[in-house]
Amino acid sequence: MSSTHPIGTPVQDPALPADTLLSVRNLQTHFFSREGTVKAVDGVTFDVKQGEILGIAGESGCGKSVTSQSIMRILPKNAKIVGGEILYNHQGQVIDLTAVDPNGRVIRAIRGKEISMIFQEPMSAFSPVHTIGNQIIETIRIHQPMSKAEAREQAIEMLHRVGMPNPGRNIDQYTFNLSGGMRQRAMVALALSCRPKLLIADEPTTAVDVTIQAQILKLLREIQADLGMAIIMITHDLGVIAELTDRVMIMYLGKEVEYGSVENLFHRPKHPYTRGLLASIPKMAPGRIEIEPIEGSVPSPYALPTGCKFHPRCRDFMRGVCEVSEPPLIPIAPGHEVSCYLYGGREERA
Amino acid sequence: MTAPTIPLGKAGNSNERAIISVRNLVKYFPIEAGFLRRQVGLVKAVDDVSFDLIEGETLALVGESGCGKTTTSRCVIQALKPTAGQVLFQMDGTPAVDLTQLDKKALKVARRNIRMIYQDPYSSLNPRMTLLQIIGEPLVINRAVKGRAELEERVAELLRMVRLDPGAMNRYPHAFSGGQRQRIAIARALSLSPKVVIADEAVSALDVSVQAQILNLLKELQKELGLTYLFVAHNLAVVKYAADRVAVMYAGKIVETAETEALYITPKHPYTEALLSAAPNPDPDTRNRPRIVLTGDVADAGNLPSGCAFHPRCQYAQDRCRQETPELVNVANAGEPAHLSACHFAKELELVGIVVTAAEARNV
Repeated sequence: MSSTHPIGTPVQDPALPADTLLSVRNLQTHFFSREGTVKAVDGVTFDVKQGEILGIAGESGCGKSVTSQSIMRILPKNAKIVGGEILYNHQGQVIDLTAVDPNGRVIRAIRGKEISMIFQEPMSAFSPVHTIGNQIIETIRIHQPMSKAEAREQAIEMLHRVGMPNPGRNIDQYTFNLSGGMRQRAMVALALSCRPKLLIADEPTTAVDVTIQAQILKLLREIQADLGMAIIMITHDLGVIAELTDRVMIMYLGKEVEYGSVENLFHRPKHPYTRGLLASIPKMAPGRIEIEPIEGSVPSPYALPTGCKFHPRCRDFMRGVCEVSEPPLIPIAPGHEVSCYLYGGREERA
Repeated sequence: MTAPTIPLGKAGNSNERAIISVRNLVKYFPIEAGFLRRQVGLVKAVDDVSFDLIEGETLALVGESGCGKTTTSRCVIQALKPTAGQVLFQMDGTPAVDLTQLDKKALKVARRNIRMIYQDPYSSLNPRMTLLQIIGEPLVINRAVKGRAELEERVAELLRMVRLDPGAMNRYPHAFSGGQRQRIAIARALSLSPKVVIADEAVSALDVSVQAQILNLLKELQKELGLTYLFVAHNLAVVKYAADRVAVMYAGKIVETAETEALYITPKHPYTEALLSAAPNPDPDTRNRPRIVLTGDVADAGNLPSGCAFHPRCQYAQDRCRQETPELVNVANAGEPAHLSACHFAKELELVGIVVTAAEARNV
């Protein structure tokens, strides 16, 4: 295995501002199978600043989870990063995570320590045959020189922080001893055990009840304020996005359709897809509020539409424009970008 | 247990008729242990539930996992045999029948009028059957059509009803997206022209843009065909849009039931208040609203707390709540539609519903 950038050797052009923790540039991750190639992520660009919460939202098949798997380099075997850069700011040195060996020393020093992840299903993070304490202690000791007793102290402290009712006892329990909400908390404790700089949360509240969801969101908010880490929140639930995030990227079929502050996205949505999504969710507000669905359904990833991927479902479809070429991502206000010909970008077409 | 003395429908409106009346429904599952499978306990999945389903309305059963909403719906259609209680079904001009007492043959006839739609259209449709077979199966089994031509005609009509192309009736489910599959499941449920449709989390597995399509389709079909829906769901925003009345369940009991708007704006049970408060709102301006975050987990139906099952998580709980199980009683003011709550302090507490609108929050 050829390990390219060992930690300590920065990439050639470390053009990352000091407050930018992660910069994903034109990322392309494709899946290869007998049926053909699926461009699961096809040219996605975004930054994560130190301590901010970025939301990535979209419907199934939009590539939001594959984006996070690309960052962590935990893609399935038939998937490959075919283009772009994932620049990670490692204590002032910029490392391109797309160029490192997915099983090598560099990514293992970052994954689980500096960037960690929580999932929809806590049982995918834990082994059922080891106590949660042993798994947290193991993770701590892989990344930090520490005695077992010290690591145990730190694990108990983390379990306490995530609101486990009895950390001293919970640390010696197995996952089957814990309820769904408690497992979710234990997984957060595991992910935070090495005090990561970035936490990637992939649909962490999708499988839990609404009262537990409220607990987990509150916990993430508190811990984020407490430890100052950045969070990438990946979800299909725009309610969760509105509750938690600072900035949002909306994805559709592997493409970034809109990117902006949470206020801009919810109060001044520009892309017809973003507007359609917001119009199609029932609201928790008094009175009868009609909902308007988006027509049609997400097309098969093997037979993608030409031009703008959303054009077959778009109300503002412009014949001769939208189906011909893909709209570029263009800035329409400071920090607000949209990829739609309604807002320009036509003159740049070939 | 005493039967409720007031009608559980929209109170006082005599032209409204219950098509299904559930009375004191109980469903216990035994907990067995050891080699001899001795019974060591009971899971009280549904414990004394009563409600009326009024003809033409949508009644939602909401609650968190394990609250008994799905078990209740399965007992209504007799997919599960209730431990006790009655499910009275009354069609136009016929005397009410208790579904729990019917034999297999009579139940089959009654079930033509009560059909179900399930959550996951990927597992509820047989992948080896064509749409014609899937949608036509209930028609064939119940001998509702004569001959292939009539069958195809009826299936085509049903496909048009759910806004699918009748030309697709010889294709298999794999050729359809999740939303289209749910339309197929709806067409199958409607094939025998039922009066009542039980939708068990029918839109929960769908993407939001498609979920809206199915919700609107269900509403349109209700208008066209005069259907009555029992809508089982956990998503409060979806329920707010879909339902005329809501029954909130917790630990096997209905804790509150009222017309949708009243329940959301002036909840009368602390659990409903907490559910409404916890539901994420797609508006960043409301994120700093005061919020009730319940501690702990949903009560274990195999080991229920004493008194009111919600008391260990209730911020208003007092000694009485730990000892005495509250009855579901009407707490509405005289002349107003029924608003039932099973809370000792329903009349005293000033609970907060979804009063904060986005515009209001911005003005604060």
